[in-house]
Amino acid sequence: MNIKYFPGVLLLWILFSAVGVSAQEDANAVERGLKTFMRVGCYECHGTDGKGSEAGTALTPETLPPEAIANFIRFSPGRMPVYPVEVLSDEEIIDIVAYLESVPLSPDADDVDILKALALDKK
Amino acid sequence: MTSSPQKNKTNVGRRNFIKTAVVAGAATTLPSEKGAAAQNRTVTETGVSQGLAPPSVEQMSMEASTPEQVSEVQSDQGPAATETESAKYFGSDFMIDVMKSLDLDYVFSNPGSSFLGLHESITVYGGNRKPEFITCMHEESAAAMANGYYKAALKPAAIMCHGTVGLQHAAMNLYNAWCDRVPLIAILGNTVDASDRMGGTTWRHSAQDPAAMVRDFTKWDDQPASLQAFAESMVRGWKIATTPPMEPIVLAVDSTLQETAVEDPESLKIPRYTPSEPPQGERGAVRKTAKLLVDAEEPVIIVDRLARTPEGMRLLVELAELLNVPVIDIASRQNMPTSHYLNQTRQSGRLISRADLVLGMEVTDFWGQVNSVNRAEMTSEPRVKEGTKLVTISVNDLYMKSNYQDFQRYAPVDISISGDAEATLPALIEEVKEAMSRSRRRVLAQKEKTFRKMHADSFEESRQLAARGWNSSPVSTARLSMEIYEQIKAEDWALVSVGASERFISSWPHRLWNFDEHYRYLGIGAGGGVGYGLPAAVGAALANKALGRFSVNIQCDGDFMYANGALWTAAHHRIPLLTVMHNNRAYAQESMLVQGTANRRKRGVERASIGTLIQDPNIDYAKLAEGMGVWSAGPIENPDDLRPALIEAVKVVKSGYPALVDVVTQMR
Repeated sequence: MNIKYFPGVLLLWILFSAVGVSAQEDANAVERGLKTFMRVGCYECHGTDGKGSEAGTALTPETLPPEAIANFIRFSPGRMPVYPVEVLSDEEIIDIVAYLESVPLSPDADDVDILKALALDKK
Repeated sequence: MTSSPQKNKTNVGRRNFIKTAVVAGAATTLPSEKGAAAQNRTVTETGVSQGLAPPSVEQMSMEASTPEQVSEVQSDQGPAATETESAKYFGSDFMIDVMKSLDLDYVFSNPGSSFLGLHESITVYGGNRKPEFITCMHEESAAAMANGYYKAALKPAAIMCHGTVGLQHAAMNLYNAWCDRVPLIAILGNTVDASDRMGGTTWRHSAQDPAAMVRDFTKWDDQPASLQAFAESMVRGWKIATTPPMEPIVLAVDSTLQETAVEDPESLKIPRYTPSEPPQGERGAVRKTAKLLVDAEEPVIIVDRLARTPEGMRLLVELAELLNVPVIDIASRQNMPTSHYLNQTRQSGRLISRADLVLGMEVTDFWGQVNSVNRAEMTSEPRVKEGTKLVTISVNDLYMKSNYQDFQRYAPVDISISGDAEATLPALIEEVKEAMSRSRRRVLAQKEKTFRKMHADSFEESRQLAARGWNSSPVSTARLSMEIYEQIKAEDWALVSVGASERFISSWPHRLWNFDEHYRYLGIGAGGGVGYGLPAAVGAALANKALGRFSVNIQCDGDFMYANGALWTAAHHRIPLLTVMHNNRAYAQESMLVQGTANRRKRGVERASIGTLIQDPNIDYAKLAEGMGVWSAGPIENPDDLRPALIEAVKVVKSGYPALVDVVTQMR
């Protein structure tokens, strides 16, 4: 991590720790998260259910905690567009995480006939 | 109406020609015996004797509804016939004989009055065979079809259009062909002599120098002033176009010359065509490169348009196996089989950063491969470590125009070999064998195990990732790609188009399909011009029809709407092609970029999607296809509905017809 961002990340972590429990308890967080996920365009690269693509990494099933996501998207040096707090608030990120955590798991490749056949073809 | 003296001497109208030819009867032998076998044919073998004459001027005039339109139709008929003239052989007939001598299969065209003579000579005199007139609904489609046709057939096709409005339409896909190093022959109708322009449209469809508009991105052009000059320019142009670096060429063909009655056909000669051998790299530089390759500890080969032919793929595999050197295939052509353990394309970043030697062969943007770019920050940094040797073999330095700069950033290298890489590979392989000791061969052989494992791991990673979102709606691009593959893998398939970039579908075909032949993949619309995908696929499918291959096109929705008339061409000409829509209801690439810009400027993203979404209303592509006589299914939103639709579509295509399946998909 770039050391110059560390104080900001620390503050974000404290913020998210404080509000995290209430967000998880909010029955509407998932719905709000989905709406935000679509509104700010996360779905375009990461897929509507966060499963990822070549343009954007998978956000599920191993969803990062809000503070890690915030740290990344606030200061992203790579292809990921920067999302400053004016565009996406910390609270909205917590909602997005709630939504991503609600997404059902994908099947395993070996449970999909076509993909299983690929493995067998290789052997 | 007045005619020029020259025209009075030599010209005759089409109606008179047809009348005369029919009366002249069955024994009219074509004049030149020095051309191709086609020239031994007689008029009885052509459409003239089969009653296939085109509509008369009167019929066409009746279709025009206003006096002005009637006048324009009449003025478009070119030089008028005089009742005293008769002729058996016209300038445009000779032009078709020249085309036949080159074994030209197809002319992709939308009809136009500046090339009426050629049109009639193709369909009537020539019997609409070699070349056959393929009816296109847009000149842009015609150019893309010729592009796709070449890449599948490895043989040039021609397009034919007005030198003004038609070429303006065709220009974008000529540019795509230019960027893609695809040879095609663009024939422009033009009326050079202003006194031959019979008012109205003939003026608007004529220009002093029609090729000027596309000269910056075509390799050569000419406007021959005589039939003999046409013959030489056509053969010369064909030769120039097909000599690497291959590019489009343009011939502007005077409408008066097309109508010229040839009084002494024996005086016209069709020059013999001898293909140019492609330029090969200088042997000394090739030897130095071979030594670097043998001595390098972690060399990498990057290829883009190396394999012009299947032989290019075979040679690349031989070189790679000899050295156990990993290959990164940018795949503007299918250069390296995806199932080969040395195809390490998915590991490109890691391999390039560790390399002590990078050899680029026919890579347009070599600088972009050995440097990484942050577009948002407008910064770049080397991907290679200091001291890494860089070598290129390409025809890039023989491929120069100033105005359009698709040559990319200048790449400083240690050895730069100007020559066609495929033609240079035999010498390079020979020199590598010469330079490699038995002990070095044993050391290099030990790398095989590592690369086999890397290849297997990469494949398995992609296989696992493909399962993510398998049941999602909209349908994931992984599922889209793999459901298609499941239905075509038993066929002799070819993925003839993915539009402007395979990344739009997260590159799933190249991650998991087995591209084991050169023809399995034809690359992208290289200039990034939208409106390439569907017509290029139709052109390629036309070639594959004769070759017995099953053509599949993964079709982006934005690209489709530029040139969807190409579907009608596929239906009309019975071109078997499976088109599967990647219908993400957006210009997704631009949507992402505008969103990124808005974020960077801290202005929010609420309005960033204005202008980039294709929604409200959603477009029903299946209905569009149905309206053009193409079997269709969709829109499919439930991924479980995809397989049955594809099974039916494949049946339709195997019966010789096009089919379209519309699938609503994730953005990427």
